[in-house]
Amino acid sequence: MSLLSPAEGWYYKKVSKDEKMWMLIALVLCIMLFVWMVMWHVYGKQNPSSTTYKTNTIEFAQLTEAYIKKNMIGVDNGIPVVRPEPNSDVFLMAEMWRWSPVLVLEVNQAYKMHISSKDVVHGLSIQPVNMNFQVYPTYDYLLEFKPTETGEYKVVCNEFCGIGHHTMIGKIVVIEKEEDLKLYGYENMKKAPVAAVAKDDSAPMSDADKAILGEQVYTLKGCGACHKTDGTVLIGPSWKGLYGKEERVKEGGKVFNVLVDDAYIRESILEPTKKVTVGFENLVMPQVPMNDEELDYLIAFIKSLKD
Amino acid sequence: MSNTIQEAGDLQPAAVTAVAAPEQIFRTCDITGFKVDLRSEKLIRANAVAAVVSLLLAVTAALLLVFTRYQPVHLLNAEWYYRLVTFHGLNALIFWIIFFEVAGLYFGSTVILNTRFSSPKTGWVAFWLMIAGLVISNYYILIGKADVMLTSYTPLKAHPMYYLGVILFAVGAIIAVVLFFGNLMIARRERTYGDSLPLVAYGFMTAAIIALITLATGAIIYIPTFLWSLGLVDNIDPAMYKLIWWGLGHSSQQINVAAMVSIWYMVSFLTVGGTSINEKVSRTAFVLYILFICLASAHHLLTDPGVSSAWKVWNTSYAMYLAVLASMIHAFAVPSSFESAQRRWGYNKGLFEWLSKAPWGNPAFSSIILAVIGFGFIGGTTGVIFGMEQTNIIVHNTIAIPGHFKGTVVIGTTLTFMGITYYLIPLIFRRKIVGMGWAKWQPWLFFIGIALLSISMIVLGQLGVPRRHWDSTFSGGPFTYNFNPAVDFFWTLMMLGGSIAFLSVCIWIGIVVTSVFFGPRVNGPEDMQLKISPLAPPAKSHKGFEAPGTLVLTFIFLLVFLALFFLNWKWLAATWYVK
Repeated sequence: MSLLSPAEGWYYKKVSKDEKMWMLIALVLCIMLFVWMVMWHVYGKQNPSSTTYKTNTIEFAQLTEAYIKKNMIGVDNGIPVVRPEPNSDVFLMAEMWRWSPVLVLEVNQAYKMHISSKDVVHGLSIQPVNMNFQVYPTYDYLLEFKPTETGEYKVVCNEFCGIGHHTMIGKIVVIEKEEDLKLYGYENMKKAPVAAVAKDDSAPMSDADKAILGEQVYTLKGCGACHKTDGTVLIGPSWKGLYGKEERVKEGGKVFNVLVDDAYIRESILEPTKKVTVGFENLVMPQVPMNDEELDYLIAFIKSLKD
Repeated sequence: MSNTIQEAGDLQPAAVTAVAAPEQIFRTCDITGFKVDLRSEKLIRANAVAAVVSLLLAVTAALLLVFTRYQPVHLLNAEWYYRLVTFHGLNALIFWIIFFEVAGLYFGSTVILNTRFSSPKTGWVAFWLMIAGLVISNYYILIGKADVMLTSYTPLKAHPMYYLGVILFAVGAIIAVVLFFGNLMIARRERTYGDSLPLVAYGFMTAAIIALITLATGAIIYIPTFLWSLGLVDNIDPAMYKLIWWGLGHSSQQINVAAMVSIWYMVSFLTVGGTSINEKVSRTAFVLYILFICLASAHHLLTDPGVSSAWKVWNTSYAMYLAVLASMIHAFAVPSSFESAQRRWGYNKGLFEWLSKAPWGNPAFSSIILAVIGFGFIGGTTGVIFGMEQTNIIVHNTIAIPGHFKGTVVIGTTLTFMGITYYLIPLIFRRKIVGMGWAKWQPWLFFIGIALLSISMIVLGQLGVPRRHWDSTFSGGPFTYNFNPAVDFFWTLMMLGGSIAFLSVCIWIGIVVTSVFFGPRVNGPEDMQLKISPLAPPAKSHKGFEAPGTLVLTFIFLLVFLALFFLNWKWLAATWYVK
């Protein structure tokens, strides 16, 4: 009588035996689910951490940059490679659209991973082991991972983060012994002093030296996520042969040519949305915080990328 | 059919008191005997039509999306893929469902209570606000100013007009819900029904209460976000945004569940004259949905920073998962209402004669049975397992999550709404159903399509495939990744399922549109193509089990659940250690 008022005495009708039985089973199951989750914290090995630090995007980006500078052993496809000590604190930063750095970990060793985003919300998804966590800007999530199997793992982004979302893929390599590094072409990577060029305040640096430092800036700041240096055009224009070229740009609806020089590059980095290269209007470049020195090096690096 | 529902229930329409509106606003239905407020009927029609239009928009986008993710075709470019994901989400999950629910709420609070509509004019204001919201939001999505997904997680920012559109729609929906309560109040005051609300109206009332809670939550998050997009608010904390947004996003699914389960009971009554074997139990289960509304929302934060494990475990369960329990209770109460009625009609042989002799030729009946199966076996099982703190690690943000809610909201809610429409066409639109032959197949086609789609998505997700992702070959990225080769098979299956489901929706829309606009008029009970069953006769004796067949079915469900449960935990145990 579901369309009509219930029959007289419905409230006092006895619950039938089978319905009672089912409800009891269902209730026990529901309570079991709760107990199970609690027990997994005691006996299980996979539990999301409860440790979060409040941070801000600039602070976290600086921490990650400093961390990478200190521990970098090489570069893989434009992304710095870091080989952290077991049980150490590791920084893994998500940004539009890359994971930085690439990590070389040892199997059955624990690593305290600080994970946060430089811009929007991202999703950390380690494949093929298929472990997934949410990554926010301004929250530093501390997850202690212990890889249980060797191999090459990819870090996919599985939270929509803009038009380049599908290009956001990072890498974690888990090794057992030193020889394993060969499998990934990392055998020659060693931790070296980051500044390959000794900085001497008395004499001005040569352009070549600046360019070397500029390449580090390129790697650390993640420019390579969008700008390649080999002529391929991805999300942003390639930097190969860019310096000294005439580019068609759009500013406030007007389209005109502009010469790519120091001033233009500087402006494009500091105010990415001011002049936008024709053909890339829908792909807004994010703000990348940079100081004067870094800008200087980066421009030198772009200059060095001849056709 | 001589007996109308009114006579069958032996309930005479109560005397209209002096307060009531003049009699000419009503017609008395010659099929059911209900007194129908003509102004309410118009509103029900308008909202139902808007719902169907939204569904058409949603499934058109869905087909394009399926053929984009199906890599051999890879139809849309990245920009349009994400744009249409946003578009599909909004039109399917919000516009289609809420318009239909408003129609349902108006039906449940006027027609089946024999009462008048509290304020038809306000009803039209609500309707046009919702339409305005629909048009504005869809426009700003399609011109590319709101590529933010349905969830619009900050700091992704859409055009202010997009948020405004959503807010207008929500305001309209809130007004509609308030009118529903107004109707209930009038019915109560004028005593147009017995002492207690009919179960269906009670279920709709649950849906309405939940709707108010969730829409209020929506206002709490959308209004500041709107101001932020205008530059009037500096910052919307992303974790706070996600927490509150899901107070709208998942709690609103409980509106769907409550409305859907109400319709299940309604169809049991219409097709076999059945009702819950114990109304107190069913009503209690509805109340549990209201009391434990927040549990499902908290599921969305299981792998997030910001909240502790204790918070997560407690707030997704309150120690006993009582919202799950509510659905488990209905999982028994709904089939047993069919079984008990069928047995009383004499289909008493063995465990399952009640089922084999059921009115399978009635598309509303088959829709509802298939919706119950899909909702329970696909949506329900995965929902519970994915909603546990640790197992969420292996599915969070993978395509298994939309796979889960294709099971709940598409097979469950959408198929239910499609099924009940076969009754609404003759009873509310007063037209005969054109293409009954097609109508008999449509629910099966839809079920098969979405089941394939949904199960494939769940398997793909378990293999790590992300949701809302344009290119799973990662073209242009610094590295690439090849998923388990098995994914190719499931992508194909998903594409097939999606195509079948799309075809089925087209058939359904074709039937609805042709019937409503061109179908022959219904002039009386003789034009009724679907049976309206009289009440099942009372039971002779009450010994032993009342619904043994249902009990066996629920045990099968339990076994399937436990199998999936242990499979998922086994899978989780094989991953890296993390704490």
